Amino acid sequence: MRRLWLALLVSLVLVPMAGYGAGQSLTAMHPRPRAPGFALKDMNGKVHHLSDYRGQVVLVNFWATWCPPCRREMPSMERAWKKLKKQDVTILAVNVGEDVDTIFPFTGDYPVTFPILLDQSSKVIKRWPVLGLPTTFVVDPKGRIAYRAVGGRKWDGPALLKTIRSLIPPDKKPAAPATSGAGRQGTSAQADQVDDRKAQRGEEAQFARRK
Amino acid sequence: MGHLSIKVHLFRVLGLLALSPLLAAPAPAAPHSRHYIDQRTGVDAWRWSGEGISLQLIQRLPDQTRAFFLARGFPRPAVERLASHCVFQTIFHNTAGSGGGVVHLNLANWRIDHGQSLILKKQWQQQWRRMGVPRPARIAFRWSLFPTVQKFAPGDWNMGMTTYPVAPGTTVDVHFSWRRHGKLQHGVIQGARCAPDVDMEDKTQ
Repeated sequence: MRRLWLALLVSLVLVPMAGYGAGQSLTAMHPRPRAPGFALKDMNGKVHHLSDYRGQVVLVNFWATWCPPCRREMPSMERAWKKLKKQDVTILAVNVGEDVDTIFPFTGDYPVTFPILLDQSSKVIKRWPVLGLPTTFVVDPKGRIAYRAVGGRKWDGPALLKTIRSLIPPDKKPAAPATSGAGRQGTSAQADQVDDRKAQRGEEAQFARRK
Repeated sequence: MGHLSIKVHLFRVLGLLALSPLLAAPAPAAPHSRHYIDQRTGVDAWRWSGEGISLQLIQRLPDQTRAFFLARGFPRPAVERLASHCVFQTIFHNTAGSGGGVVHLNLANWRIDHGQSLILKKQWQQQWRRMGVPRPARIAFRWSLFPTVQKFAPGDWNMGMTTYPVAPGTTVDVHFSWRRHGKLQHGVIQGARCAPDVDMEDKTQ
């Protein structure tokens, strides 16, 4: 009887919480189509080929400086990048239709450390299944589109990080700490929840001021 | 025995506490539309929500339209052509949960009063080509307007401008539709007022 009540209590508390993360999901692609290749220059003139990143998980984000949800998700993408880059995950933010002179001031307001690529003529975006900005694709290590997100997301949320990490090949995943049974995923998740709360609050307040 | 009855009582209380969120939770909301003032900008906005979607129409001032497109290389005559029409910033969201299904949107099926269609991206782009609008400006325009046709998986959303064949300041009913699981569904936002233009007196100051 006691167990029954406890189970009821736990389930009733957790069920309403399940809806909390609604809207922070990625759409899985079945089957996974091959990601269209590209060669684009970054802000420093360095050319990035998508094929250079084969074997890694790559987030390809299409965005523009004038697009409010694109701006809004950038800080969370930067936080996600800081958590993921050591795990062989790359973020490539493909700016659509703008030049360096337009993007440069933006990076002063929204500092990001992952590469920003320039698709000024929009030749690349036309080859990807994009209809609105922002749209982000998660490309698996085999160069296939595994997930798609239309509209902005909070990229450093535990659910999205878990989904992205699930694509990392086992040999590239950090080993679980020897002294803990929790494993690396558990450790990462706990760290994810704790380490950036202050930063997140600060950046969101910053975004609200800039809007 | 007394100890046991306290335990039983405790579990009953816990049970009621656990049930309380469900008892207090509202039933699935019927579709509804509401007008509000955007706290940040002070402009009027309308939101329709229900059936696992939400649609927001937010006034876009003609001067906002002028500033935005002039900054992206539009020539003045093209900007004035656009600013002489009603424009709403439009946000569509598939709010259904993971089993809710994909929403298919086609703006060609949307209507305002008297059955008038929206002015769609393709129609504008034809005009811009005739008017010699530079290509980079047309690219910016393409991505600024709400896509004519789009699919939204659960959780997906998009934001873009929708344009209407009426002058700024006009009040319209926007009849919109979407398709989910093959079923066409409808909604209407009544009395959405397009942002008025500043009068010429203000513009010459």
